[in-house]
Amino acid sequence: MNNEFLWRNQMRRHAEAVEPARDLWPAIAARLATTAAAHRRSRRSQIGWFAIAATLVVAGGAGLTAWRWQHAVRVPAPVAVAEVRPDAAQPVAAQAVASTTATAPELTALDWAVPDDPMLAASAQNLDNASAQLQDALEQRPDAVFLVGLLNRTNSMRLRLLRKSPNAG
Amino acid sequence: MHGAALSMNVRSYEVPLGADDNALVRRSVAGDTAAFEQLYRGHVGRVHGAILRLVGMDRARAEELTQDAFVRAWQKLSGFRHESAFSTWLYRLGVNTALMDLRGKHEEVAAPDDELEFAAGGEVPFCAGERGDIERAVSKLPPRARAVLVLHDVEGWKHEEIANELGMAVGSSKAQLHRARGLLRRALTDSRDVSAKIRNGEVSHEQ
Repeated sequence: MNNEFLWRNQMRRHAEAVEPARDLWPAIAARLATTAAAHRRSRRSQIGWFAIAATLVVAGGAGLTAWRWQHAVRVPAPVAVAEVRPDAAQPVAAQAVASTTATAPELTALDWAVPDDPMLAASAQNLDNASAQLQDALEQRPDAVFLVGLLNRTNSMRLRLLRKSPNAG
Repeated sequence: MHGAALSMNVRSYEVPLGADDNALVRRSVAGDTAAFEQLYRGHVGRVHGAILRLVGMDRARAEELTQDAFVRAWQKLSGFRHESAFSTWLYRLGVNTALMDLRGKHEEVAAPDDELEFAAGGEVPFCAGERGDIERAVSKLPPRARAVLVLHDVEGWKHEEIANELGMAVGSSKAQLHRARGLLRRALTDSRDVSAKIRNGEVSHEQ
């Protein structure tokens, strides 16, 4: 008991604040600046993905709405597969190609056409732009599964849009 | 070696200004690095002191880990809930940074828990020592034993807290403490014997 008290009393005297021998703040501030820059880059990147997704939703929504207005239900001839650039063929990007191909194996590139209807054509253009941006993004982040999902959805919407177009078949 | 250098920089704990800290924390969360610098200036001594003791008075390593601790604090600041004092939160984060470093080294072969618990029996007699002798002896302890001794005897942590932080059983923490105290006592006794011999002219300083 006495031993413990004397020992703890002796050791507790070492529990003091000790200033570093040199000012560490400049090095810390430099690291904080680097961290902040990386954070800003990451935020910009996230905003970019959100913009692509938003474009996709707007384009798809506008196209389908336009189609509903026209009630132009025509079954098209086989339509083109979404052409994912082969140079972007990374492990996950390859899945996007395979996935799109699997859903419409009989389609040809000629069918990746622009609808005659101006409203549908505008939506198709938006979807094509979104698809191109997603393919670029996949080249930078070939491991990003969510980009593959977005690309597949974009291409699928593009196909549906063309199928609903009066000039589809 | 480290003892003399340290004594020049040692100062008493400052009373933390909790209310001011909270305002500075809020400004820091908003990205104000000048506010965070004030927090750094107010608390670096306590954080660095604890880290320094945990790394066995290795000044260069302690400075690196102190920097790491403040960078981590900046990154995690938005998660600070103001439920405890900022000084306590920061101090725990600093200690955790040093313990992570300790866990990552794997330089010590951990003794089995049951052996350590068996060794924990009996009391280690009190042994007084000079500050410099104690610091030197603590710095030579095996890392895990040193961490337990510093956290329990110097920083005043409970065995449950230490066991939780170091990922060991409470019994192992007690056993490591007993082991560390025994090694420390032996080192202090040896040091005292050498000093006595030097005084009596039996050995030279170089020995």
